[in-house]
Amino acid sequence: MKILLVEDDATTQEYIVKGFLEQGHSIETAADGQQGLMLATTGQFELLILDRMLPGLDGLKLLAALRATGDQTPVLILSALSHVDERVKGLRAGGDDYMTKPFAFSELLVRAEKLMQRGQSQPAKTDLRVGPLRMELLTRTVTLNEEELLLQPKEFLLLKYLMEHANQVVSRTLLFEAVWDYHFDPRTNVIDVHIAKLRRKFEDLGHGELIETIRGAGYRLRKGY
Amino acid sequence: MLIIGTLLLVLYRQLVTEQQAQVRQHLLSEAQRYQQLSLTVDRRAFAAQIRASDSRTALIAWQGGVEMVGSLTLMPENMPLLPNTREFPIFTGGPEKLHILTGGVVMTRYGPVLIATRTDHLAALIDKFVSAALTALALTIVLALVVGYLFSKGLLSRLVHYNRLSERIEKGYYNTRLPVSGKQDEFDLLAAQFNRVLDTLEHNLHAVRGVTDNIAHDMRTPLSHLRIGLEQLPYQPPERLAERCGELTDELDHCLATFNAMLSLTRIEEGQQALELQPVSLHDLCADLREMAEALAEERQQTLTLETNEDYVVSGDKHLLFQALFNLVDNAIKYAGEGASICIRQRGGSIEISDNGPGIPEAAREKVFERLVRLDPSRHEQGSGLGLSMVKAILSRHHATINLTDNQPGLKVILNFPRA
Repeated sequence: MKILLVEDDATTQEYIVKGFLEQGHSIETAADGQQGLMLATTGQFELLILDRMLPGLDGLKLLAALRATGDQTPVLILSALSHVDERVKGLRAGGDDYMTKPFAFSELLVRAEKLMQRGQSQPAKTDLRVGPLRMELLTRTVTLNEEELLLQPKEFLLLKYLMEHANQVVSRTLLFEAVWDYHFDPRTNVIDVHIAKLRRKFEDLGHGELIETIRGAGYRLRKGY
Repeated sequence: MLIIGTLLLVLYRQLVTEQQAQVRQHLLSEAQRYQQLSLTVDRRAFAAQIRASDSRTALIAWQGGVEMVGSLTLMPENMPLLPNTREFPIFTGGPEKLHILTGGVVMTRYGPVLIATRTDHLAALIDKFVSAALTALALTIVLALVVGYLFSKGLLSRLVHYNRLSERIEKGYYNTRLPVSGKQDEFDLLAAQFNRVLDTLEHNLHAVRGVTDNIAHDMRTPLSHLRIGLEQLPYQPPERLAERCGELTDELDHCLATFNAMLSLTRIEEGQQALELQPVSLHDLCADLREMAEALAEERQQTLTLETNEDYVVSGDKHLLFQALFNLVDNAIKYAGEGASICIRQRGGSIEISDNGPGIPEAAREKVFERLVRLDPSRHEQGSGLGLSMVKAILSRHHATINLTDNQPGLKVILNFPRA
């Protein structure tokens, strides 16, 4: 899968390129707006990662110009501006997702893969399986080794997100967005507390270790024990 | 001055016109008398009547044959027919030899008769009036100049004083205030307003100083942890390395979050952040709030209850409003202590968040809204110290009010949203 990264800061560019290459994606780069727009309109990309502030042509203007040509490639905006209204501006200009710098690569990866999958039509899944875990989406039942886990609605959503990204590190921000429809940094351990409750239910069935805490990054659901 | 001049001029004109009208009226009635007389009496009796006429009422002259009959010895030429009149001079033998008369001619059965009256006293009156008026005008001018000079000297000295004081302020003496006299004039109003601006500025300056000190304090701890951590990183055993890096990242994220919160707060307070307005149900907000915060309360063996009554929909930014409400509940959970009961009560446009913890002393209730102010001086609880400032800024952008009251025991926070 081919990604175009338009980013003028060399350190950030290198960090992102290295990350995607390690994950087996191919990625091209542009260091300014004009070059970015040129590449975006001539090449075939599945995802554009766009810095908000670029020399030459501002990220939002580039995006508007791209959308004006009818190009519907998913766009993820990276920005040092964290205000809620900046996010709204970015999404209104045609962005599909918005991420604030500084960020962890694991979170960028999750968001990028989600946007790239959107293009492919997948049959709607009715159940999720990760190792000994099984989630029936229609009946909302979860079993671990055939034993039922009784989950509250938000715990169900948390686990669903973890299962959809099994073996990946998901940040607290991603989990927060997946479960609650509010955009803000709660500045408190609210996600940790909900995860802890979920993990206790796993522990009751003897498998608390399935949900791993990754310090400084977030959580990861292990595929097996 | 101009007004006084104009008034005097008008008065003068009126006086002259009035006098002229009187003279004309007088002459006309005399003319009528002689016209009718000429119709009823014979020529000799007419001459006799003219001769007998009182020169104080009017001067009559008639060319009766060769000689002039009446007060005048000669008929001036080009006298107009009454009611038109004209002025003409005559000589008399008296002490005041020259007199000014005003008169006209009336045609009678016995020929033209001149009817005139002395108007030089009128001219004198008008002269007197004019000189009196000029004197008055001159006096007014002088008086106005003197008063104006004294007045502007007073104003100027106040302005000079103000200017000197503002130079002091420019130099950094922000406690300088302009003097306000008891006169309550425009200058006092200006000075009072200026002083209020200075009060606000001085307060803000102090606040900024306080904030800077607090930032230094808040950032020093995590930054020094980071420094120590980085310094020791090369000596960590390889298996500890990943975890240690994670811990340091957490510390760094805390610093970044504080910076972000400060920036957002400024933007919301100054109204730079555009609100994403949409209808927001207070009932739904409170229900989500409880769902999110309940796990936090459980962790501290606290109970979190929700009471709602008649939903209320406000036009607002749901993300910001939820952030504000969550912050208040989160504070209650943090500070009410283990085992406390916390209640979210929504009734119409009013939301109360109450706890039975230690509460906030009344004297400190205003202070907690200031940036980076934390009542616990050791800053034990993790947090940016910006929460309540943010809450207040968000609520004021939504025209809602917040009050902290005593829950006896504990704290009760009351929010009131305006009627839509």
